[in-house]
Amino acid sequence: MISFSHVFKSYGTKTALSDLTFTAKQGEIIGLLGPNGAGKTTTMRLLVGYLAPTSGTITVNNLSPSKQRFELSNKIGYLPENNPLYSEMKVVEYLSFVSSLKKEGDISVIVDSVGLTDVLNKKIEELSRGYKQRVGLAVALMGNPEILVLDEPTSGLDPIEQEKIRELIQKFGKRKTIIFSTHILSEIEAIADKIIIINEGKLVYQGAKPKGKGAVEKLFKKVVK
Amino acid sequence: MKALYKKEIQFYFNNPIGYIVIVLFAATINFLYIKDIFIMGIASMKQFFSFIPWILLFFIPALSMRIFSEEKRTNTMEVLLTLPITETQIVVSKFLALLSLIVIGLSLTIALPFHLSTSTKIYIPEILVGYFGIILFSSFFLAISLFYSLKTKNQIVSFLLSLITLFMLLGISSDLFSGTIPKFMQDILIFFSPLFHLQNFIKGILDLRSILFFLSGTILFIVLTVFDLEKRD
Repeated sequence: MISFSHVFKSYGTKTALSDLTFTAKQGEIIGLLGPNGAGKTTTMRLLVGYLAPTSGTITVNNLSPSKQRFELSNKIGYLPENNPLYSEMKVVEYLSFVSSLKKEGDISVIVDSVGLTDVLNKKIEELSRGYKQRVGLAVALMGNPEILVLDEPTSGLDPIEQEKIRELIQKFGKRKTIIFSTHILSEIEAIADKIIIINEGKLVYQGAKPKGKGAVEKLFKKVVK
Repeated sequence: MKALYKKEIQFYFNNPIGYIVIVLFAATINFLYIKDIFIMGIASMKQFFSFIPWILLFFIPALSMRIFSEEKRTNTMEVLLTLPITETQIVVSKFLALLSLIVIGLSLTIALPFHLSTSTKIYIPEILVGYFGIILFSSFFLAISLFYSLKTKNQIVSFLLSLITLFMLLGISSDLFSGTIPKFMQDILIFFSPLFHLQNFIKGILDLRSILFFLSGTILFIVLTVFDLEKRD
């Protein structure tokens, strides 16, 4: 269970989030929508404990992400925006490094399931964007976390790679709570159960995904002026 | 913690940077020793130990400038800080990895006392105390450089900030500096001089005050770095 209650976040004098309140139940796939600079990445960083709120309360499975980051780190898998990776490392070295921190004994299951077997001994900097995204996803999935937080997981990928990543999210989403942000409205239609729309740091919509082709786009245009 | 330590060590040994820095470090020290022995005719390790801090003044900031700056620049810090590892473990792992590299560099000079023993009588415990002092001294300087590496995304800025701070610390006990301040302040400042405390080790004296000075300075800067890393701004 994820709960944001009257959360404010400021960077100096700039307010990034203002009175954000929402909840996510176990097993839900939530699409986080909003224009550039709306506060999606800040919301995700608050959720994983990388940032602390200026005021308000955030709880994830009854833990405070900013105060109990270590306890929560085994329960949340995170793919940050732009997927930062240690590019000088080989895929196998990087995954082994993360697996030893997450106490995941065998990386072969995840390697197989995200399709990294052929590139295991390549340096991350030599990989295509699609494969880099798979490495990021593998890291997020390691340790079998209950919650997945994915910040624009298909950003910058070609349509075929986007589809593959989407399939992976759906495959793993059956057993987890997933919060993902995207600019691609059709992605929300394909994957999400519930939508949260943020504009200029404020919540403008929270609820079930509207049904029908193009319904999400219509809703988005209506609430984000 | 072991995993991050291993990853940091691997970074230096999986690319030329680590080898270049260590070889350059060892080559400079060996050269200075050879100069003392053959050109100046000084058959002692004291000169050798006295020179090392000035080499470390450049090597430690160069070695540590990327350790946090690069993580901040590439945003891998965001990944690291969402993995099951505490801020203290991150700082200590990185500190130990860099200290290990310095110890490896110093170990490449271990042949020098053996060479010296062929031409003059040397007292091994005195030399071991000298090496111990250099390791404590390096730890202190390393902790300061680590602190500055976390302050900025820019490696050059990190290098310069720590170089200036370390240079000032080395300069505290110099005649040039102490001549410009009143006597009572000189005594206080000298107590904070790493070179003053290192002198005891170079002479072969294990002075508890000097050990505590280096250990507390190291711990202080490690704690400050951990606090800085724990900030969630």
